[in-house]
Amino acid sequence: MSWQAYVDEHLMLEISPGHWLSSAAIIGQDGNVWAQSANFPELQGDEIDKVVKGFVDAAQISMHGLYLGGLKYMVIQGEPGQVLRGKKGTGGVCIKKTNSALVIGLYEDPTKPGECNIVVERLGDYLYEQGI
Amino acid sequence: MYGGDEVSAIVLDLGSHSCKAGYAGEDAPKAVLPSLVGTMDPMYLPQEPEQPAKMGVDGDNNNAVDPKTGKPVEAAAKKSTRKLYTGVQAMGYRRDHMEVVPALKDGLINDWEVVESIWDHTLRERLMIDPKEHPMLLAEPSFNTPQHREKIVELMFEKYQIPALFLAKNAVLTSFASGRATSLVVDCGGGSTTVAAVHDGYVLQKAIVRSPIGGEFLTDCMLKALEGRGIAIRPRYSFKRKEVRPGEFELTNVDFPNTTESYRRYIQRAIAADVKESVCRVPDGLFEESSYANIPTTPYELPDGQTIEVGADRFKIPDLMFNPALVQTIPGMEKFTTEAGASVKGLPQMVIESINKCDVDIRRELFSSILLAGGTAAMQQMKERLEKDLIEEAPQAARVKVLASGNAIERRFSVWIGGSILASLGSFQQMWLSKSEFEEHGASYVHRKCP
Repeated sequence: MSWQAYVDEHLMLEISPGHWLSSAAIIGQDGNVWAQSANFPELQGDEIDKVVKGFVDAAQISMHGLYLGGLKYMVIQGEPGQVLRGKKGTGGVCIKKTNSALVIGLYEDPTKPGECNIVVERLGDYLYEQGI
Repeated sequence: MYGGDEVSAIVLDLGSHSCKAGYAGEDAPKAVLPSLVGTMDPMYLPQEPEQPAKMGVDGDNNNAVDPKTGKPVEAAAKKSTRKLYTGVQAMGYRRDHMEVVPALKDGLINDWEVVESIWDHTLRERLMIDPKEHPMLLAEPSFNTPQHREKIVELMFEKYQIPALFLAKNAVLTSFASGRATSLVVDCGGGSTTVAAVHDGYVLQKAIVRSPIGGEFLTDCMLKALEGRGIAIRPRYSFKRKEVRPGEFELTNVDFPNTTESYRRYIQRAIAADVKESVCRVPDGLFEESSYANIPTTPYELPDGQTIEVGADRFKIPDLMFNPALVQTIPGMEKFTTEAGASVKGLPQMVIESINKCDVDIRRELFSSILLAGGTAAMQQMKERLEKDLIEEAPQAARVKVLASGNAIERRFSVWIGGSILASLGSFQQMWLSKSEFEEHGASYVHRKCP
């Protein structure tokens, strides 16, 4: 399956009636975009680098914010070393770390944080098991 | 996805001091009971013919009645060998060799059997509901560990067979109760004080600051301070008071040598807590022994008829929240700081520390929405003093505003009330973790659904 197909079919699906992720992507931990949905924000500079570091120690991004595409997300409870979650107004982001990639999902109202978490982490778990 | 709105959800808040439970949509919990149980080693149990004192598991013993309490004896020998007495009535009755065991330690669940017993009692005997029929919203400490969360989820679904569950953090619920999505919640509870920043309805984990100074600590200090002044608080069971002539009472001491130390302290603490709640006021500035040496005293009548005069202690005890070093001046409490290790901070310092750990952009908003919650925050003048201290310590440009509901009941139950509001919202109904989701994905699914 191509990475784009993973994004289109496993991330940008209808999670529950009327609820979709607003955008999603699978990005390598080196910063290369493997695939992304149509309106995924343009990532800037060292944002991915900071995210990867944030998985090791979330102190920096907690204090200064998690940036994606220039937009700031406040770091809320994640799972150390595996999942980073951020909140921005009524929307937010969920980032799941696999062996060499990051699965990122962005959501807005009315989609719920729990729904985004489920979709992103499910794909992340699968890729992790495949050794990716 | 659970979407039932015909049946009320139950909101359950198990704190270090008390357990609050009730129906979502109501403005106060129906059941409030202490988060403690009485335990008794089976060897002390009375040898009654109907019930086996030895805890060999008798599955068919479900209908035996304990003659003392008149309540059915549960086949309590599932895992443990001790008998538990739960609830205000059961604990109010003095029994030989009954120890008092708290459910929580350092704010987190410590003894699961005790917690089960409290939940059983609350749901079946106080609320009188069948858990199978009601979704449960549980309040959890803002610093709850993943292991604790999973255990709670397993216990609720497997033992109580509830249809749906949600775990919400205390700070978030308090924030909801005041109608705010972003605030700094200062929860002065029984076992400890927690300062947590809530942003857009979610706790910023790295900004949680805790202190072991809570209501129970203040009660202990009050007890020690009174003992230091030569006032002995007699537990209610240790005396009989008879009216021999109209208005004149005769006091006889009753001796119960087999009462455990933990039970005696439990009863004494209840009295000292009432003294504390009735007479204490937070002083306007830092407490100094000299300036309060000559203030007029307030009388308080103890259950045994003794009237005590409380003077400077009225102001010294609450000031411990702001200046923990004062504990050194209370006879009997000197060893506290060495136990706590690193120096314990006062409330204003905790607030500043928490805000400084937050993102720079939201600090301003946090300073102007500081919420006071918890039973200990209901003390008189707490809000005014905190505001004054913070205005002094905060950066010049910040506008400091401390908010607290005027009603002491609302402050004490703000977490529960927030839960009641949350569980009644239409938009919340799709967020429940349902039984089928639990069965399909396991307890760890809770981290995704209840972030």
